[in-house]
Amino acid sequence: MTRNPVMDERQDEDCGCQEYNELSRRQFLGAAAGASAAAFFPAWLPKIVMAKSFSSSRDIIVSVFMRGGADGLSICVPFADANYYTARSTIAIPRPDDTSAQKGINLDNFFMFPQAMAGLLPAFTLKDLLVVHATGQLNVSRSHFDAQRYMEVGKPVDPTVVTGWLGRHLASIPPLKPTASLRALGVAGGLQKTLVAPFGGNLYPTKTLPIGDPSNYTIGGAAATAPQRLSFMQQDYASAAEPVHSSALDATNTVNLLKTVNFAGYKPANSAAYPTTYFGKALRSVAVLIKNDLGIEAAQVDIGGWDTHSAQDPLAGSMYKTMKDFSNSLGAFYADVISTGYNVTVVAVSEFGRNVRENGSKGTDHGRGTVMFAMGKAIAGGRVLTKNWPGLAKEKLEAGQDLAVTLDYKDILSEIVQNRLGNPNLGFVFPTWTPSMLGVTR
Amino acid sequence: MRPMNPEHLEASVTPSEAKTPERSTRRSFVFFGALAATALLPGRSYGQRSTRMRRPIHPRSRGSQPAQQPSESVAAFAEWSTSSSRLVRRVTLGVTPADMAHVSQLGYEGYLNHQLSHTRINDSVVEGIAAQKWPMMFQPSDQLFGSDAGQLRSQLQESTIFRAAFSQRQLYHRMVELWSDHFNQDVTKVGYLLVADQRDVIRANALGSFPALLKASAHSASMMLYLDQESSRGGAPNQNYAREIMELHSLGVDGGYTQNDVAELARVLTGWTITGKGQFTFNPATHDWGAKTVLGVTIPQGSPAYGAEGIKEGEQMLDVLAYHPSTARFIATKMLRWLLDPNPSETQISTVASVYRATGGDIKSMIRVILNDSWLPAAPMKFKRPFHFMVSTLRSANPAITIMSGINGQLSALGHPIYTWPTPDGFPDKIEYWAGNIVPRWNFAYVLSTARSTTAVAFDAAPYLSGSPAAAVDLIDQVFFGAEMPMGTRTALLSYVNSGTFNDQRVREAISLAISANAFQWY
Repeated sequence: MTRNPVMDERQDEDCGCQEYNELSRRQFLGAAAGASAAAFFPAWLPKIVMAKSFSSSRDIIVSVFMRGGADGLSICVPFADANYYTARSTIAIPRPDDTSAQKGINLDNFFMFPQAMAGLLPAFTLKDLLVVHATGQLNVSRSHFDAQRYMEVGKPVDPTVVTGWLGRHLASIPPLKPTASLRALGVAGGLQKTLVAPFGGNLYPTKTLPIGDPSNYTIGGAAATAPQRLSFMQQDYASAAEPVHSSALDATNTVNLLKTVNFAGYKPANSAAYPTTYFGKALRSVAVLIKNDLGIEAAQVDIGGWDTHSAQDPLAGSMYKTMKDFSNSLGAFYADVISTGYNVTVVAVSEFGRNVRENGSKGTDHGRGTVMFAMGKAIAGGRVLTKNWPGLAKEKLEAGQDLAVTLDYKDILSEIVQNRLGNPNLGFVFPTWTPSMLGVTR
Repeated sequence: MRPMNPEHLEASVTPSEAKTPERSTRRSFVFFGALAATALLPGRSYGQRSTRMRRPIHPRSRGSQPAQQPSESVAAFAEWSTSSSRLVRRVTLGVTPADMAHVSQLGYEGYLNHQLSHTRINDSVVEGIAAQKWPMMFQPSDQLFGSDAGQLRSQLQESTIFRAAFSQRQLYHRMVELWSDHFNQDVTKVGYLLVADQRDVIRANALGSFPALLKASAHSASMMLYLDQESSRGGAPNQNYAREIMELHSLGVDGGYTQNDVAELARVLTGWTITGKGQFTFNPATHDWGAKTVLGVTIPQGSPAYGAEGIKEGEQMLDVLAYHPSTARFIATKMLRWLLDPNPSETQISTVASVYRATGGDIKSMIRVILNDSWLPAAPMKFKRPFHFMVSTLRSANPAITIMSGINGQLSALGHPIYTWPTPDGFPDKIEYWAGNIVPRWNFAYVLSTARSTTAVAFDAAPYLSGSPAAAVDLIDQVFFGAEMPMGTRTALLSYVNSGTFNDQRVREAISLAISANAFQWY
């Protein structure tokens, strides 16, 4: 059995760094670092490069999932394509040259934002927000649950993979901060699939937890006995099966970590105003964690409400409210965190778009191509990126009804994982995918 | 105010004995344990054969393991040594001494039959309390129309926790939980309509036939609203319900339908909608009368002159879906995952699917096969979802509950506020989803075991203080773990009790640790 010098060096770094009173994880990475992974991993998973040259100026990533199939044609509207107005007879957004107060905001003389997306206009104007259109997954169904699952997994239509792309990223790169007791969190009541990680062998512990409300993550009850009770838990869960064992251990360490963070008294920079919605509060908590320099390097935040089968109304109704929440929350995060120089990249994806033609309920049914977003100081933004924009002409629609997917979301994420997250293991993060680098990072 | 739970109501009649009714059965329970140890249980007892115990796939000593994905195949604790106790853990929402005594009395088959014959189990005490505390649950939709949304949601959630915890029809409530997620609806969208769906669709058919359940759901006003069927009309159909009834409710996503089948079924179902104050109806005026083909079945051109007869097109398709071989497989797999094993074998799936086909989807017949005394003792453990964890805690601790709102409020922190999952797939039943949200469980355990409010929730710790610290741990073992607490937990618990003054507070904290322990999170 060969020893892995990189792993050994990493373990040495871990030594003596017990400032969070953390149980040692060195055993986790112990003797079998070089053992074959073939027995447990599907054959397609490549070996990981444990290079010494990981960039030290890696970005933190905030990954947003717009659950429900977001209507890209309402979020970033191709107003110059007359077919849009034909297909959306009751739910279209007026052109930028319209006289109505509800007119769109011109981006590039072809696409526009609706008023509800105005919260992201500053980031777009300062060229830190990239909008990608006619994107999604090249080969996945119109089922929410299959499409979300495979988008989170990062390998299409392979039911044997249960881990997510972000979990595999974390498992294949050393921690941004070696002493971190929490590397990543999902702001949720349970762990999103994007963050589910492989473990063992020569992988790095991902130290990832779902935390619904980071500002209230404590061990309750009598303070006098809390340390002893916490220690009971550490001991009791030491023999638990994975993933329960690691989760419980990470939880006890994270309780100690978050005690030190003042969430309530947080003052966002630039007077950024986070909406008091679930999504706004989640991003605010993530901002606090980032600014406290705890070693958090990834957060997964979800926003629902995009499954607009009926009464979609992007001018004042449900779609309007959802877009406004989305853009104002991310706009506040941009002003508070990104514009003030923190190395953070935000990505936002949705499982699919919606039919070009509206249905009889003034809504839209499940479609294919939609938008995604990337935002950060190192993102080549200020534009709507398309690849052979297919347009909305009937003969160009997928199955005669949907904006086609011409650009796979994994191309965008691959470039960010490699260039901004400093991880060369793209074949591990997005197995079997050969990415095209489209110049989305600066 | 008197506490509402049944045992405490009885307590007002015979205070000295009924306050902790499980105590009266402790002797017989210990006796049962001795019997089990010598494998004299009625019927076969595979759990006694240690060679049949599945080894954990993840070894407990780490460091020598290759990289791997999270797996849900976790072998049962060595202490879970009898097939009967495995059965009680799967059939109930939390093992109590009374359940253990019951299974020792009836035997494996007898206990399963007893739970399957749920209508013969007298539930009048629990239902009486429910009727008094949560009257909305018994009202028809037209009476509930216009009710306060918050009050309605609380009544739905509180009554569900209460019934699951204190009804003797435990298997029935396990199935109610399964079907509530299978036909999930979000109360924030459908509001008062969910009450009738829960009562007349889910609870009425939970142990009946799956085709009847599927059809009842398709005639539910709540489901029509939730999946936008109510606004679907000829010429511009809404595909939401047509897709999900095939993908999530019957055939499964790999069940062999196409996007064209979704579009065509949506046309078939045009006109299925809501009328009045929440009644299902078929509206011929919005139905698409053209010819359609769904899953190879051709429905000929109709005519508006057929009027109400137009609903038969959809009824015909419901029959096709209900008796489709893909549905048999999909429902068999789902029930196997719920009751037996997160990763059922192909043999298990095809066996249960064949029972579905042979019996016309009889749920009890499928359960009888799934929970057979050969498969179950060899099955891995399952990780309790937060609702299950909460209900287990209530069943074992049996606190005097006067109001439920505080307990119900904890479900959100636990990540499992029932009836509010927004998407139609229902709350996940995946260990990798739930395992990380463990701190709120520890906090709930503490709140419950230290509850002393006679006007809200009070847990009585006195029985645990009547003997030695070791006797207290014995009692915790019997009440919360079916006398099968893992040795390591037992030792640590005793050490915790011994490390301070042996008093009310120390014992309550020890109980909170027992509920928080790893072993309590599994079933």
